[in-house]
Amino acid sequence: MKIIYVDNNATTQVAPEVRAAMMPFFTEDYFNPSSMYDPARRINQALREARQQIAGHFGIADPEQFVFTACATESNNMAIFGAAKANRNRRRVITTAVEHPAVLEVCKELQHDGYEVTFLHVDADGNLDVGEFVRALTPDTLMVSIMHANNETGVVFPIDQLSRLTKETDPAIVFHTDATQSVGKIAIDLKREFRHVDLLSFSGHKLHAPKGIGALYIRKGTPCRSFLIGGHQEEGRRAGTENVPYIVGLAKAMQLAAENYGDEETRVRGLRDRLEKAIEEQIPYVQVNGKKAPRLPNTLNVSCHCVEGESLLFPLSYCGICASSGSACTSGTLEPSHVLRAMKVPDAAVQGSVRFSFSRYNSDEDIDRIIEVFPEIVANIRRMSPYWDQNGNAPRAGAESLIRGRQ
Amino acid sequence: MAWEYSEKTKQLFMDAVHGKPGTHLGEIEDPDGLGEHGSMSCGDALRFTFRVKRHPTDPTQDVITAARYLTFGCTSAIAASEALCVLIEQGNLTPIQALKINNKDIVAFLEGLPRQKIHCSVMGAEALEAAVFNWAQRRGVDLQSLGVDMHADERQEGRIVCKCFSLSEPYIRRKIRELNLHTIPEITNAIKAGGACMSCHHVPGGLQDLLNDVWGTGEAKLTILPQTMPLGTPPARPAGESEGQLSPFQFSKRVEKAIEEYVRPMLQNDGGNLEILDIKDTLVYCRLTGACEGCASASQTLRMLVEQTLKEMVDQRIRVIGV
Repeated sequence: MKIIYVDNNATTQVAPEVRAAMMPFFTEDYFNPSSMYDPARRINQALREARQQIAGHFGIADPEQFVFTACATESNNMAIFGAAKANRNRRRVITTAVEHPAVLEVCKELQHDGYEVTFLHVDADGNLDVGEFVRALTPDTLMVSIMHANNETGVVFPIDQLSRLTKETDPAIVFHTDATQSVGKIAIDLKREFRHVDLLSFSGHKLHAPKGIGALYIRKGTPCRSFLIGGHQEEGRRAGTENVPYIVGLAKAMQLAAENYGDEETRVRGLRDRLEKAIEEQIPYVQVNGKKAPRLPNTLNVSCHCVEGESLLFPLSYCGICASSGSACTSGTLEPSHVLRAMKVPDAAVQGSVRFSFSRYNSDEDIDRIIEVFPEIVANIRRMSPYWDQNGNAPRAGAESLIRGRQ
Repeated sequence: MAWEYSEKTKQLFMDAVHGKPGTHLGEIEDPDGLGEHGSMSCGDALRFTFRVKRHPTDPTQDVITAARYLTFGCTSAIAASEALCVLIEQGNLTPIQALKINNKDIVAFLEGLPRQKIHCSVMGAEALEAAVFNWAQRRGVDLQSLGVDMHADERQEGRIVCKCFSLSEPYIRRKIRELNLHTIPEITNAIKAGGACMSCHHVPGGLQDLLNDVWGTGEAKLTILPQTMPLGTPPARPAGESEGQLSPFQFSKRVEKAIEEYVRPMLQNDGGNLEILDIKDTLVYCRLTGACEGCASASQTLRMLVEQTLKEMVDQRIRVIGV
């Protein structure tokens, strides 16, 4: 059976070109880039070129501002703990309620250590209130950490505006953004609209590089103490022998991403929009989460009322379609998506959420197939639901209020 | 988490999805017993109904002939509901005999359930219990006198321990005993208690205390403390600092006055307007609205008109930040 992979916000397939670029560094080019002999210098050269290329992707001339890590989670840990360690006189961190756990939990850890953390709210569309953000900036604010694009809904925050406001208020406040979901999907220029950003994290496996490589951009002069010590690598900011094959792979993946931004913006967006429209037309009682906010072109998060998301994923996977859900059953804890709950999506609709996230490897045929099976799956599962009126093909009287209750 | 369902679980689920003959999806109209468990916001819910062949003289001899379910929940919740109905129909059971079916029987029928999905089987047993209680009411059977304890009031009474899933102390205590639960993860897997916000794990009167108390281990300390948040001392305000002679309040009043009297009327002449989002010391955060919104010379306007006016009228140090 053909696999239709539409869970690209979870991870992506490695591009064949990326794999090819990496291979020599597993075989003949295995040397430690810090060694002195000739073959090692060749490796060092490849490493330098990769770093240069990645910096260039963001419009940055000085490649030393990029530090390689193992994953975006490490980059986020390094950014937040590192900034906190570098400035012990300030005790407040501003973040949002909808961050990825790799930021949220780190902020809670700081809270545990006595820091004050402000978790900014979002509205029903998933947008931040810039007024609330401005009012949260205080003289003891150490840093701001706000994601660029949300992994669950694809909602994009105005990082250009928020970072500018931060720096105009107080240049000493460090501005960090977790751009894991946006890098490789939309172009980011750290010399222009993102010039006020001090720290930016991302990882390779969201853009067709393999798992195990991440990066943190540290703008020159940003106070950020190192997280992993014990070596001179990365100018002492992140010790450990450089992961050369993966760094080379990341550089290749970013080059491919840059070539495909146009495709992402038009064709991939078109695929997403077509599926969104079909679902809205063919399935009654659905809501597209984040629909009215600026969104990534590849993400569709839809809540089907009166059914539970996991029970939709299973028949989907039966048809070879790989997607994900914000329901409690799929979260690892029994708590449904904190992102949708922060958007005041009623619990009853959070449970029925399904996320489709596309990549340049998806085709029109993939969308055809999803449209062919998904409405029927939802209808079948609704037939089983105690909250669904089979004859009226609508939620039962009591269930309707549960779904609309808090809106 | 990836699926770790048994083939049997997957098969029951897919058969039900496709409405295969012999599956038990549905609802019996005007049933002899109806029981519900769970809710949509908790993530799973089951509506269970059965029909009996009525005994002409002795209702306790009624035999269940058909059982049906409607389930909102994950794959295993639906498969467990199907399993429950099969087990009941197979046995030619009276409702009171049916009560002997417990979550372990359901798990065995499903050929195992992932640990974190055990609560799906417990949900089946709970709905069955509720349906039998309902049948007893309709048929005038006094379960109490037959020695069947229906725990009817423990949900309404008793302190709520797990707020996320609204589970009371008597209920959790009973389940700890009935299902032989010894750790907090076991409790969570079986009845979900403590599975969401996790704040009830180690607080006084929380899950660990209940475990200790039921099994007589550790020190039972069931003194319930008032639920106050142990907040740290609020950050000290810099005392005695003043903006010249003005308090921050007076200062922002002056800014607002200057804007009301001079700036806003000028903007309104051009069909625009201005919103103040915040005033921090000498920083004034403004947003231009109306015709000014998105205007190419908006930042010029803010600097030349708004900031200049405020500097002259209130304080030279004022800086205007456009939002």
